[in-house]
This record gives sequence, C-alpha cells and structure tokens, in this order.
Amino acid sequence: MDIALKNTVKKQLLWVALVSISMFFASMLSAFIVEKGDVDNWKNFSLPTYFVLSTGIIILSSLLLFFIKPALKKGKSIFGLVFIVLILGLLFSFFQIKGWEQLTNQGIYLTGIGSNVAGSFLYILTLTHLLHLVGGLVGLCISTIKSKQNLYSINNYLGLELTSIYWHFLTILWIILFTFLKFY
Amino acid sequence: MSEHHKESFITKYVFTMDHKMIAKQFLITGMFMGVVGMLMSAIFRVQLANPGESSILYSLLPGAWLNDAGGLNPDKYLALVTMHGTILVFWVLTAGLSGTFANFLIPLQIGARDMASGFLNMLSYWFFFIATVVLLSSLFVETGPASGGWTIYPPLSALPQAIPGSGTGMTLWLISITLFVVGSLLGGLNYIVTILNLRTIGMTMQRLPLTIWALLITAILGVLSFPVLLSCGLLLIFDRSFGTSFYLSDIIINGEALHNEGGSPILFEHLFWFLGHPEVYIILLPALGIVSEVIAVNSRKPIFGYKAMVGALLLIAFLSFIVWGHHMFMTGMNPFLGSVFTFTTLLIAIPSAVKVFNYLATLWRGNIRFTPAMLFAIGTVSAFITGGLTGIILGDSALDINVHDTYFVVGHFHIVMGLSAIYGMFAGVYHWFPKMYGRMMNKNLGYIHFWGTFICAYGVFFPMHFLGLAGLPRRYYSNSAFPMFDGLSDINELITFFALAGAIVQVFFLFNFFYSIFKGTKSSQNPWKSNTLEWTTPVERIHGNWPGELPVVTRWAYDYSKPGAEEDFILQTEPLKEGEIEH
Amino acid sequence: MTNILIVVVVILLLATLVQIVRVSELLSDIKNKDVNEVTDKDNNTQGILFLIVGFGFLIFVVWQMVTWNHLLLPPASSVHGAQIDTLMKISMGLILIVFFVLSPILFYFLYKYRGKKSNKAYFFSHNNKLEVVWTIVPTIILTSLIIFGLKTWDKSMNVDVSESTTIIEVYAQQFNWNARYSGQDNTLGKANFRLVKGSNILGVDMLDASSADDKMSREVHLVIDKPVLLKFRSQDVIHSAFLPHFRVQMNCVPGMTTQFGFTPTKTTAQMKETEGDDFEYILLCNKICGASHYNMQMKFIVETQEEYDVWLDSQENLESKLLTQK
Repeated sequence: MDIALKNTVKKQLLWVALVSISMFFASMLSAFIVEKGDVDNWKNFSLPTYFVLSTGIIILSSLLLFFIKPALKKGKSIFGLVFIVLILGLLFSFFQIKGWEQLTNQGIYLTGIGSNVAGSFLYILTLTHLLHLVGGLVGLCISTIKSKQNLYSINNYLGLELTSIYWHFLTILWIILFTFLKFY
Repeated sequence: MSEHHKESFITKYVFTMDHKMIAKQFLITGMFMGVVGMLMSAIFRVQLANPGESSILYSLLPGAWLNDAGGLNPDKYLALVTMHGTILVFWVLTAGLSGTFANFLIPLQIGARDMASGFLNMLSYWFFFIATVVLLSSLFVETGPASGGWTIYPPLSALPQAIPGSGTGMTLWLISITLFVVGSLLGGLNYIVTILNLRTIGMTMQRLPLTIWALLITAILGVLSFPVLLSCGLLLIFDRSFGTSFYLSDIIINGEALHNEGGSPILFEHLFWFLGHPEVYIILLPALGIVSEVIAVNSRKPIFGYKAMVGALLLIAFLSFIVWGHHMFMTGMNPFLGSVFTFTTLLIAIPSAVKVFNYLATLWRGNIRFTPAMLFAIGTVSAFITGGLTGIILGDSALDINVHDTYFVVGHFHIVMGLSAIYGMFAGVYHWFPKMYGRMMNKNLGYIHFWGTFICAYGVFFPMHFLGLAGLPRRYYSNSAFPMFDGLSDINELITFFALAGAIVQVFFLFNFFYSIFKGTKSSQNPWKSNTLEWTTPVERIHGNWPGELPVVTRWAYDYSKPGAEEDFILQTEPLKEGEIEH
Repeated sequence: MTNILIVVVVILLLATLVQIVRVSELLSDIKNKDVNEVTDKDNNTQGILFLIVGFGFLIFVVWQMVTWNHLLLPPASSVHGAQIDTLMKISMGLILIVFFVLSPILFYFLYKYRGKKSNKAYFFSHNNKLEVVWTIVPTIILTSLIIFGLKTWDKSMNVDVSESTTIIEVYAQQFNWNARYSGQDNTLGKANFRLVKGSNILGVDMLDASSADDKMSREVHLVIDKPVLLKFRSQDVIHSAFLPHFRVQMNCVPGMTTQFGFTPTKTTAQMKETEGDDFEYILLCNKICGASHYNMQMKFIVETQEEYDVWLDSQENLESKLLTQK
C-alpha cells in the first residue's frame, strides 16, 4: 500500500468507528427518552454549573486544534499548542468529576436507595463520555511527546490528525449530550 | 506490504496478522464451540425425551454444577438452554461464520494483499478468544452459568435470588459478551474499510462476487447494531452490580422488597432486539452470500439476477432495523405500534422470496455438479424456503398471540436461521477447504455428512411446529406438569432420536476436516473451475496472497458457460474478447 | 466403566473411518483417478438421492400433518380467537401451498439438471420481466395477508370496556398465579408492592375504598359469552400469561400493568364433551422465569351465570379476609 492509501484507510477506520460509537450513544439517549416518557416518578433537576464550565473548556480545546495545520505549514513548533489542548482535556475531566460531586451534594445519586433513573442516566451518559475521552487523552499525550521531539511535519502528521478528528468528535458529542440533558 | 520476514511459530500460528490464518483461527474456535453447543443440546434433548432420568451424556460436560446429582434439575436445564443459544448464535454463527469467511474471502476475492489493518484483525480474534475463555469458565462456577435464556431478559438475569445462574455465571456472561462485541466491532471496521478501499484495479462494486456484497452488508449491520448491545449490557451491568434501576421496578423477591423503582424491563427488550434482529441477518447474510457463490460455480451458470440479489440483500438489511418489535408483540406494547411492526416484518418476505426464486432460476437448465459444498448450499435453499414460510405466521401479530414463545418459534428459527446458516457454513468450508489447506476434503464422507445432517435436521425441527401448535411453550424443563401435553411425548422422543443421530453424523465432518488437513489428497490450483480471484493464487499459503503483481479484473465473477468461450468458466482476470459484452 | 466403553467405541469408529478413506484413496490410485473428482456417476446418484429424499421429506411432512392433527389445540373458545383461527387457516393454507410448490421444484430441478461432462449449462444471467413478476406477486399476496392480519389484531387488542365487562386481576409470581375479582363496584382497588405483607399477598391498598369488596382466588371462573378484561401484574420477574385455548397471551411485567380482554364462548362442561373428561382450561407461564417455569399453572373455569354467581358468593371479600384478621 502506498502512503496516501494507508492514510485514507486509517482515517476511514476511524470514521467507521465513530459511527459505531455514535450508535452507542444514540441508543443510550433513546433509552433515556423512552424511560422519561414511561416513568411516573421521574426527577427533574438542574445540571451542575461545573458542566457549563467544562463545556466551554472542551469547545476551546477543539478550536485550538484548528491552528495546528497552519502552524505546521509555516514550520513552527506545535508542542505548545498540543500541550495546552492536553491540559484543557485534563481540566475538562476534572470539572466533570467536580460536577458529579455537586450532584451528590444535591442528593442525586448514581445508585442505591434514593437514586432515581433520571440521575442514573445523567451519571452513565457523562461517565461513558468521559471513558471515551480517556482514549482521546492518551492520543493527546502521545501527540504531545511526539511534537516535543519534532516528529511532525506538514507531510507527516497522521497520528495528530486522527487524534484531532477523535477530539472534535468528543466535543460535538459532549455538546449534544449537554444540550440534551439541559433542555430535554 | 509484501515484506518477507521469517515467520516463527508464534507469529505464524498464534499472533498472526495474516488474514488467512486468522480466518482459520476463527473457524477452529467456532467449530470447537459448535461441538460444545451441540453436546449441550444433546443433553437437554435426552432430558426432554426421558424426563428426570440420568444419562451418560451428563458426565461429558465440565463443571460441578452439572455432575453432582444424577438427573438434570430445572436450573441446569435452563443453564444448558441458555448456553446453547448463546454459543450457537454468537460464537458459531456470528464469529465462526462471518469471522471465518469475511477474513478469508475479502482480501482474496477483491484482490488485496491483506486486510486494511492486520493488527486490528489480530486484535479482533484475540478479543474473541478471551471472550470464549471467559464464557467457558462460567461452566465451572459453582452456581452454574447464565440461565435466564440467551436473551437475558431482566429482572430474571439481574437477580441471583430469582435463579442461581444469574449470579457469577451471568456476570461472566456479560463480560464475555462485552469482549465479544469489541472483537466483532474491530473485525467489522476492518471488513468495511478493506472492501471500500483495497479492491484491485478493475474490481468495481458491480463486479464484486455476491459473497463480498453479503459480507460488506453484514459488517455494516454489525457496526450499527452491536454498539446497542453494548449499551444495553452496560445498563444491565449497572443494575446488577451497582444498584441502579434502569430495568428494575417494584420487585419482591424471596419475600424482600427491592429498593428499585422507576425502571422498565421493556426498555431492555427494545434495546436488546434492536441488536437482536439485525443479528439474525448478521448470521444469515454471509451464508446466503456463500450459497450464491457455491450454487453459481456448481450449476456452471451465472447467478440469476445479480443486481436483484444485491438489492434484496440491501433491502433485507435496511428492513432488519425496523422490525425488532415483532419479538415483543406480547409485551403490552401499543397495538398501533404492533401493527407497524407487523407491516415492516412481513415486507421482509418480499426480498427473501426474490432470493429464493433467483436461486431456483440459477439451477434451471444448469449443469449441476454435486460437490459436498453444493449439497449444503442446496440444503440452505431448502431450509430457507421451509423456515422462511413459517415466518409469515410469526410476523403477523394477530397469529403471534398464540404461537409466541412456543415450540413453533423454536422450529421456525432453528430452520431459517440455524440450519440455513450452518449449511451455508458447511458449504463454505467444503468449498474453500482446498484454498485454506491446499488439500481436498474427502468427497464421499462429505456426501454421508450431508445426507445424515439433512435428514436428521428436518427430523428434529419440523415436528417442533406441531408441538408449538399444540400450545407447548419453549424452555420447559418437562411437559409432564400439564395433562394437555401428555400426548406429545412421542413427538419428543422422535425429535431426540433424530437429534442424537444428527450429532453423531457430525463426527464424519470433524474427522474429514482434521484428517484432510494432514492427509487429504493435494488440491490443484482451481479445483472447482471457478472464476473468482482466490483461485488465481498459488496453492501454498503465502503472506500477501499473490507472489507478483496484484491481478487486474476485467469482468464480473459469473461468466460460467458463456456462449463462445472454450471452457465453461472464464477467470475474472481474463480480458474481454473483442466485441464481447460484459454479461 | 461406561465412559471407557464410549471412548473405545469412538476410537474404533475413527479407526474404521481412516480405513475407509484409505482404501478408497488406494483404489483410485490404482485406477489412476482423483478420488475427490465429482464424476457423472456421482452427479447421477446425488440427483436421484435428492429426488428420493426430497419427496420423502414432503411425505414425512404430510404424514406428520395427518398423524399429529389430533394433538393440536382445539378450535378457539373465544370470540376473537375464532377470527385468529380463520386467519391462521388462511395463512397456513397459503404457506403450505407455496411450500408444496417450491420444494418439489427445487428437488426436481436438482434431478433434472444433474450434470454431465458432455453437457453445457444455459447462460441465463437475468430477465427483468421474470424478476418483476416474482417481486410483484408475493407483494400482492403479502399485502392482502397484512391487511387481514392487522384487522384481526386490531379487534383482538382494542377491547371496549363496558359496564358488563368483568375485570379480573391476574398476579404472577415465582411460581404461581393469583387472581383478584373486582367485586360489586367492578373496580380493582389500588395496589402497591410495598404493601405485600402476610396474607395480603397482592399488596392491595386497603385504604382505597374500592378494595373492600375485591375477592382473591386461586382459580378463575368466567361466565360464558360475557366479556372479561384481565389485568396482569407481576411480583418479581417477567412472566407471560398464556391461555392457549382462548388464544390469549400477555406478558406480566414487574412495575407495569398489562391487559387483555376477551369473551369466552364455550363452557368447560361443553369442552369436556368434545375433548374428553380431563379437559380443563389452563393458564400457563410462557416466559422463562426460573426453575419451576415449567410448572406454573392456574385453572380457568367457564360456566353459566348461575353457577358463577354461586361460586362468587362463596368467596370471602378482602375486607373480611384482611381487615378482620388484624
């Protein structure tokens, strides 16, 4: 296989995987909708304020990734850029966990007596999103190290590109989850 | 890609990235699981014919849970039924069938050196392998393996108090299925991307053999539906182990009221069958693809209506996503919803009928050569007719009221999904064995195997329709509790007789398979005089499939007995003659 | 001992197989032929075998239909059930016709077109007219089946609950059934699973005014030709209430109430006349629910209004049963 084909193939593998992951979340959301329509003692509550913060952070991180290609074109080092995105990713995870803390303080629990299906869904949706985000963080770590060693160039940055696609996907997914949980 | 580094035993046979070897790994694991699953069915068939009696067969399976007391008790019976279903549906007919043939045929038939990602492919097998180990380990758990039916409906599967198998056994089942799904997804990604990108020059989508079309559509179904099983299982894991209430509500078990409120077991069924129904076609479509190929080759005729065949596959795949509710007519769903599902379900009969007619038209005025593979391919067509027709009864919500969950269903899906698919798998093994191992399987043993299986299988599954029409529910440990079923014991004994005979016949296949790997007569390069690309590769297995340049394709795969040609087959690489029109 | 015997038998069987294969290979070596080549003779044998076994299978099917006909369920004992039976007869007739047309064609083709080295197949790759015909014909047949089916389904599921409808609750648990009659007011009292205690096995809320006249029973009595609405609840796992003689089935789901309405048309006594003295209407569980799933039953009795009234009067109502015990 030549390089161009190899790159297309790898990108396509990722795209198909993203379709698959979307199906996972789509089924979760439809389960959420079905239960909400079904259950009499559905508890409505407001989302933790931390989630608003983390939404801003992940959008910012995604936007920063768009500066990579121009930087590579100019031959500049992209280490700083990737590193900031990684930090923002970690920050996002931190605020998600803070958000859960806020929820438990409000008396909304994932499991056990006093838990409600509505609350459990909120936890599960954010938890599975975060689990997928861990994969993105690993990708970012590798990219950070590689960019520190100056291994990327405009002709050769497939790994970084794949990570970016995945990261954008996670951002969009989070925005969808957030608006859904907030307004549905 | 064609780097020829030396292969050690480990990289050649164990952690191999060669698609042909991975296919064989899937096949052998699948066959092993097939034997285990069949043994289980033999055991519970013996119980159904002679309720409560001890049998020598009971000592064949491992695990203290089975051996301790003489006879089979109801818990063990349900455990066996559950494991039989799980193993056959997922391990044999999903991984064993499409895992084997997708891996083996996709690169060979589209003219690629290997899969898009050999590494992911290897990973896919090893996930499957670990899943297998985990599933089998649940046989050794003291409380026994999962026993709530392979559909694992909660609350039964969520509460160890309700049935012992829902303890550790169920936990292992869920872990195993999660690993299995991850493996299947990795495989599926690879199949799709490989078919879309790595076709050799001239191999347009319109020239793809029908096997590849079927495998492509199967992979798409898998990628879209398996994640749903994953989320469905995840919520169940949380309910079981962490005390959430997604599927549980208002339950008293062993006199104790559980805290769970607000959940809905019906939600589980929706999620499960959203996978579950496409899963049926994940099982069936590869078999239909294989059968199309084998019938065309051995009738020495082009497959009739190639475009209609592809269209039918696509339509079946599309419809399979909007029919899941027909498994749930009796859950108290909105009657209007039931009507919608009846409508979409019966629509599937149309593309299925088209496929059957096209198979018959392919056989018409052919020059049929009865290889063992051809016999099994015909077995598939016959089973598809017989079993598909009863689907018209079951898909009709009004009629389903009285046959739902009875033996009528058991007979239906064992014939249309079980037999069709397993015959397709046998057809594939007999047909491509020379390509896999460079040797031929013994023809006469193949004949014995086919006739034994064909006769016994109909002897087992056809009478089940009558049990169902007599009102006998499935998953009954014994039907002695109801006087109204007293007359049915003759039928049950007949079924068990055929089941045991059918199991013994499989020895002919197993023997033939393993004997021929080592001692079979050497195969020529193109033993079946077939058109497709895999028969242009050398007999000896090489990594990269073709020693020199990749072949260039100039025609479709079905130029058999074309007027004007000297031979009754024309390889896909043969350029069109001047003035020759492509089919 | 038997295990050893089995092992020996298996080994002997394998040894025999090896010998058979060996001998056939040696023989063909002598004749200088490929043992696995499919010859005209093979095609001949297999083609004829398909004809024989294929038609044998069809005869086997007919034999089953004749021999086992008496084992099948008797005609439906309910109003909607009779319609289901009609639909069943039509659908069954249709698929049997298709089955007895297509299978012989398949087996006959295999015999008729069994290969010969000297023959050549007819190159025939598609024919639009044919394909359109065999797409449209099934479509028309199926559409009519669908329409008929949906009508029947609609009539079975959408029951009008009128004043005269008896409302009965059927409560499932591992592994038995209980019934509750709604009493004079024809309204079932509320129930909650947290109230299940002692002899209040259904968790009936006795503070609800309509609970007082409810009656509990271990068998269900129905009046002939009088519509009844069954309401289903479950205590633990999913069960399915299956009354095959009435063509009634509905899942019992914990946390949910489901229902099925029907009108019985034959009394138990009438059925005994045609089906034998030991006939009873019976309620089965038809969704896997645990160890004794196979033995979860309750008797249904259809009788005349007078017999029913006598029986119902003899049953204690919940007020006296539960409250006086305290």
